[in-house]
Amino acid sequence: METTRALMPRARQDELVVEELPDETLVYDLKRHKAHCLNRTSALVWQHCDGRTTVAEVAALLERQLKIPADEAVVWMALDRLGRAHLLREQVTLPAERARYSRREVLRTLRRAAGISLLLPVIESIVAPRAAAQASCVTASVCLAAATPSCLGGMPICSQPGQCCRAQGQSCVVKKC
Amino acid sequence: MEKIDRLGWAAGIAFVSYGLRIGIRASSPQILDRLQGLLPPNAKPARGPRVECLYSLIVRGTKVGSNVRRFNILYADAVPLARTKDTDQVLEALEMDLQLYVAERARRRVFVHAGVVGWRGRAIVIPGRTMSGKTTLVRALVRAGATYYSDEYAVLDERGRVHPYPKPMSVRENGGGRPMKILPEALGGTTGVRPLPVGLVVATSYREGARWRPRRLSPGRAVMELLAHTVSARRDPERAFATLRSATAVATVIKGARGEATEIADVLLGRLSEQEGRGS
Repeated sequence: METTRALMPRARQDELVVEELPDETLVYDLKRHKAHCLNRTSALVWQHCDGRTTVAEVAALLERQLKIPADEAVVWMALDRLGRAHLLREQVTLPAERARYSRREVLRTLRRAAGISLLLPVIESIVAPRAAAQASCVTASVCLAAATPSCLGGMPICSQPGQCCRAQGQSCVVKKC
Repeated sequence: MEKIDRLGWAAGIAFVSYGLRIGIRASSPQILDRLQGLLPPNAKPARGPRVECLYSLIVRGTKVGSNVRRFNILYADAVPLARTKDTDQVLEALEMDLQLYVAERARRRVFVHAGVVGWRGRAIVIPGRTMSGKTTLVRALVRAGATYYSDEYAVLDERGRVHPYPKPMSVRENGGGRPMKILPEALGGTTGVRPLPVGLVVATSYREGARWRPRRLSPGRAVMELLAHTVSARRDPERAFATLRSATAVATVIKGARGEATEIADVLLGRLSEQEGRGS
C-alpha cells in the first residue's frame, strides 16, 4: 500500500442542499442547478474532506467501514470525481503518480475485494430541469404565435423531438432545445 | 399602474388552485365559458379579488363589417405570452402556461411530469418527458383494469402519496396537431379519487422492438430519476428531495426501454400485485 502525507481538500458547503440516504447521499448544487447522487464510497470520502485528515487516513477508514483494500488510489479517484462535480472548495491536484489512474487501474488494484464494482466511488449527476421542460408539447403553430421574451418558456414542440419554442430576434421560432 | 391595466376589461374570474390564487380577465365576456374548461383540476372560485398571478386575454375576433381577423393577445401579469389571430391557439397557450404555473409553484405539493394509475391501493408512476409514450402506457394500463389518476402530472404530498390530477387524457394520434381529449370512462376505466402511496415507479420510454428487461434502481438513483422530471426542482430542491424520498421509500423503481405498451401493461400490474402479496 502506498501512503502519502497529502491532506484532504475541504468540501464545499455553500449553496448546496444535502439529503442523506442510508447508502447514498444526494446533493443539489443551487449555483449550477445540478443534482448529484454519491454512492457510499464517494459520500464517505466527501464527508472527510476537512483539510485536516490525510488521504492515507481516509483510505484506512474506507477499509474499516467498507472493507475496501486500503489503497489511496480509491480516495484519489473519489476526489477527482468530487472535484469535477464542483463539490470541493479547492481544486484537487492529483500527485504525479496518481494522475494516470484510470477506473480500470483502480479496479485492478482492488481486485481482491468482493463486489468491488459497487464500492468504486461513483457520482451520478443530472442537470435539474427547467420547469418549462416538464410541460406537454405545444404545436409549432402555437409556438409561432408566442410572444417574446418568454416563448412559452421554451416548451418542446409536438412531433418534432429535440425541438423547442425559442426566441429569435423579436419572434418565437421552432429551434433545437 | 401598468399600461395593460388601463385597457377596458369586460369580464374575469379568480380561482384557487393548489393554494395559488390566480385571476384571468378578458376583453370579452363571451370567452368566459371556454375559460372554465382550461382551469387546472380542482380549481375553486376565489373568495376575494386579490390574486398572485393575473392573466389578461384580449380577444378581438373579426372586425365588424369586414372579414379581417384581428390579433388575440395573452399576457401573464404584464408579460406578453401569445399573439395570434386564432382564438384556439391563444387559449391553448393560456392552458399550457396556467398548468405549468400551478405545477411549479403549488403549495404543499410537488408535481412530477408523469403518468399515474392506481392498482389495488398503490400507484404506478411513469415519469417521462413529453412524447416518451406516457399517455400510451397509461391508456393500456387503464384498459387492463387500472384506475386513472393522470397522464400529465404525479401530484405528490409531503408523505409521498399521489393525488389524482384528473384531466382527460391528451392523445395525439398523429404525433403533432391538437390533442384529442379522452376520458378514462371511454376506455372502460374509472378515475381515482383518493391519494395513494407509490408502489411502482417505471422510468421508461418507447423504443420500437425493445424487449422489456428493466433494472432496479437504488433509492438515491430513484430520487434522481424522479427529480429529472420534477417541475419545481430548481425552485425548491429541498422540498423536492424530501417529497421524492418519501414517495420512493416503499416503492420499487425500475428503468428500461419498452416495446408496445399493451405488452407490458399486464406485466406491470402483475408485478405490483406480487409486491402487495409480499407486503412490501
